Amino acid sequence: MEDLWYQLPPLAQDALLLVGLLLPVLLIAAIVLRGYAPGPLIGALLRRFRWANLVFVLLIALSVGMSIGLIAQERGLRIGMAQAADKFDLVVAAPGSEMTMLLAAVFLQPSDVPLLSGATYTAIATHENVEIAAPLAFGDSYKGSSVVGTIADFATYLSDDRITGHLWTDPFEAVAGAAAPVALGDTFTPAHGHGAAAEQGAHEGVRFTVVGKMARTGTPWDTAILIPIEAVWMVHGLANGHPLSAGDQIGPPFDPDLFPGTPAIVVHTSALWANYALKSEFSRDNETMAFFPGTVLANLYRIMGDVRQAMSVMSGLTQVLVAASVLLGLSILTRLFQRQTAMLRALGAPRRFVIAVIWSYGVTLLAAGTALGLGLGLGAATLLSWLVTHRTDVLVQASLGWNEVHLAAAFLAITSLLSLLPALVLLRQPITNGLRA
Amino acid sequence: MGLSLRVEGLEVPGPDGRVLLRLDTLSLPAGARLGVRGPSGAGKSTFLYAIAGLMHGARGRVAWEDTDLLSLRTEARTRFRAETIGMIFQDFLLFDELGPMANATLTAMFHPRRRRAPLRARAASLLEQLGLPETPRPVATFSGGERQRVAVARALAADAPVLLADEPTASLHREAADRLIDDLAELARARGTTLVAVSHDPALLERMDQVITLQDGGLVPEDTVGAARTARETA
Repeated sequence: MEDLWYQLPPLAQDALLLVGLLLPVLLIAAIVLRGYAPGPLIGALLRRFRWANLVFVLLIALSVGMSIGLIAQERGLRIGMAQAADKFDLVVAAPGSEMTMLLAAVFLQPSDVPLLSGATYTAIATHENVEIAAPLAFGDSYKGSSVVGTIADFATYLSDDRITGHLWTDPFEAVAGAAAPVALGDTFTPAHGHGAAAEQGAHEGVRFTVVGKMARTGTPWDTAILIPIEAVWMVHGLANGHPLSAGDQIGPPFDPDLFPGTPAIVVHTSALWANYALKSEFSRDNETMAFFPGTVLANLYRIMGDVRQAMSVMSGLTQVLVAASVLLGLSILTRLFQRQTAMLRALGAPRRFVIAVIWSYGVTLLAAGTALGLGLGLGAATLLSWLVTHRTDVLVQASLGWNEVHLAAAFLAITSLLSLLPALVLLRQPITNGLRA
Repeated sequence: MGLSLRVEGLEVPGPDGRVLLRLDTLSLPAGARLGVRGPSGAGKSTFLYAIAGLMHGARGRVAWEDTDLLSLRTEARTRFRAETIGMIFQDFLLFDELGPMANATLTAMFHPRRRRAPLRARAASLLEQLGLPETPRPVATFSGGERQRVAVARALAADAPVLLADEPTASLHREAADRLIDDLAELARARGTTLVAVSHDPALLERMDQVITLQDGGLVPEDTVGAARTARETA
């Protein structure tokens, strides 16, 4: 049985789980409603208590929406971060913190790190199966955007060759990300450093011209400006990586002896297994460190997962509390309905009919609130995602996943089961009490 | 055609165990109209609810034709009421949000599907006979007399052979009350419905075949048709 379950495609599992969660609701509906047509009475109840009903529906929607918004947002963020790291199969850097390098290379939050030598770069670049070995030279900025020295192939790779204009042909040309504060044809002088600490004028007299603009990638690299790594070295008074005999060559191969160093190398291979070979080869104590950004992120999520579970428990508790207060409210409202219940019983309505009316009334409110909550959750997650995207340039897209739908269905199933209680309590009252009230 | 009623040794205890109503024998032929009067708290409503099978703990025998209602369990009594008894209440007990037709066909919601269409047809014709407008307007906007007539249509729509009325004219002004009494008496007569009406209203009691008086939870013995006349004359 268990084997069979795991053999099912994920979509079938999710759909079956949803059906399973909603089954109690459908089952109760089938049992209590069979042979009856209480629609007009349910409509009358909905109309009679319309303001209270509206408040109930909104309360339920808010609680469901909050839980769902949190989950959807968290997942959107996770997916967004994973996508931001997607192009970075393997990163090689000087030994240190993987997290620091991940933040620098993938999320463009650089910090001072030791450099890798030209020999290391050449060893990686000339390794078989390596398609791109892009050195990344951080440190400069322009109007808050990172100015990163690298090779032309990296710009092509990063943007999937979607570049308006052309790649650089001169060391002082630049290719900008879609959200970088420069347009095609603009010229700019980068500042040394980042943010408030940036030294304006450190690179006085150096002017870059933007000759290419990359299409949007949904990663922090959208704000970056790429320049040839040779220009970074030259601006900082270092060798440009090529012998004089190479003339004005830009890009690899570099002369290992004339290679001033690079904080990180992004590696893209032609085969997945090659990543693992390279990782083990370049994980050398005191020399180099190689890591998969995806793995580092996964570890991060694992830690965050505990937080997420705590959040889930809290939002679950909130929902239970809201459900409890809604049920309490329903019981109070159904007490107002006591005379009519007694009248129905006096006219020969079976108990099950009275249960059908009150249960359907409650479940209508719960279902409306849950559905509205799904919408609210999506709205909240979209808003949060927009904010995160705006602030971090990590494209976060919120969407409703099966997780959220299952959560909503479970909430509906439990509360609709509990909705039988007010009707049962009401039916315990002697009929004549209600008639005489 | 209505049902006959035979009550024997009926005792209805209250929640505290004190007997609210004690009735040795009472017989009513099928299609008869019985008025029940007496001061407040004399047990009139208790009597009405008891013969509808609504009083828990009632002892004795309440037989509609051959069916002893008190020997049935709660849900069987409910089923019996659905098929046999129509009820009218002092304050109408309609669903204010619904129109006259929806109110008059209320019991169709829990009657078997095959009985719904005839029930609806009967309700429509009753509403017409009772001079009620064909409108989906909620009955909340209706006058008291109109509302009670909707309640009459509801009580008779299932073609119940027994009609029980609890102070049906007490919430109405004189004119509306007289019209309702006419309607009620006429409909009951035309259909041969057995009618039991609890009332203070001499005009209503006068139209009954038989009137009993309850006092302190028991029958006042001299009750006859003549007593009803006296009641009207002194009123």
